[in-house]
Amino acid sequence: MILLELALYFGLLSLISVGGMPSVMPELQRMVVDVKGWLTPGEFLQAFAVGQAAPGPNILIASLIGWKVAGIPGALVALAAICGPAAVVAWWVSELWERFKDSPWRRAIQKAIAPVVVALILSSGVIIATPGAPDWRLWLIAGASAAAMLAANVNPLWMLAGGGVLGAVLL
Amino acid sequence: MTVAPPKHLGELFTGFLWIGARSFGGVLPWAYRTMVEERRWLTHADFTETIGLCQFLPGPNIGNASIVLGKRWFGLSGAIVAFLGLMALPFVWVLALFIVFNDFSANPAVNAVVTGVGAAGAGLFIGTAVKLGRALARKPAALALIAACFLLTAVARVSLLYVIPVGFLVALYAARKDWL
Repeated sequence: MILLELALYFGLLSLISVGGMPSVMPELQRMVVDVKGWLTPGEFLQAFAVGQAAPGPNILIASLIGWKVAGIPGALVALAAICGPAAVVAWWVSELWERFKDSPWRRAIQKAIAPVVVALILSSGVIIATPGAPDWRLWLIAGASAAAMLAANVNPLWMLAGGGVLGAVLL
Repeated sequence: MTVAPPKHLGELFTGFLWIGARSFGGVLPWAYRTMVEERRWLTHADFTETIGLCQFLPGPNIGNASIVLGKRWFGLSGAIVAFLGLMALPFVWVLALFIVFNDFSANPAVNAVVTGVGAAGAGLFIGTAVKLGRALARKPAALALIAACFLLTAVARVSLLYVIPVGFLVALYAARKDWL
């Protein structure tokens, strides 16, 4: 039954994940840690870290949570559920989007999504960097990584590596 | 520059497999390199347009791009093949890494490094939000919307199942009024 619960929940998340995984991280954390208690806040941060450091779309954190909850079947179900509904939407909308190229509604939708997505990605960053009680060391690492990213256009793996080094020293 | 779509499903599969295999630090740059520069499946402009659409759809941008492009070239089987090619190796690798990490998670040094990596990853999200937000900085309505959605989501911890639909409708109204 836990597989069904995973499928339903990640399927719902899939449909609202405008802007990709970063947008729905707050909801994922709220549900998985606060409501269900499937992972501790620290475990959630670490699953996120592994998902970021490994190659591939960051949506794969869903499969890590699925694995924690129900092993390999959980990982497969979570990944299929987080991708499936969105893929169906992509399949249907790609044609519509082309057809309404010059519609004022298309421009309005594009403009409307931008501020919402910015707020959600910002929320994700702050929430992930604050597992449990606020910890200045985690905020320092996050702030340094954000500043480095804005200052230099390099592969983000360098920031993750720097975060690992700072973590070893500070934590 | 002449571009030509992949000739058969096998080529589509290996192309996306190759994107997934190399995508350390983010998939998008590798997707661009593979599809536009190396295999020349589509033009720069076409790639940008497709990714632009996929950013407005729910789901992972690059996962959506695999669906949209696979469909364009080979219909349903193309969409499925491209998507599976993209996800196959990263899925195995991320799970293997996590399983190995779980065996060592009791070790405080390993824990500290991985937690640091996570915090840095969170910082990348904050940096991305700042980057995207700069384009909106001169629009008071956009800033107000960002602040409201942020407070509801990150501080009040309201579920996104409410924040996203309501925030989007308010934003759509503002956009139609030309405030955004």
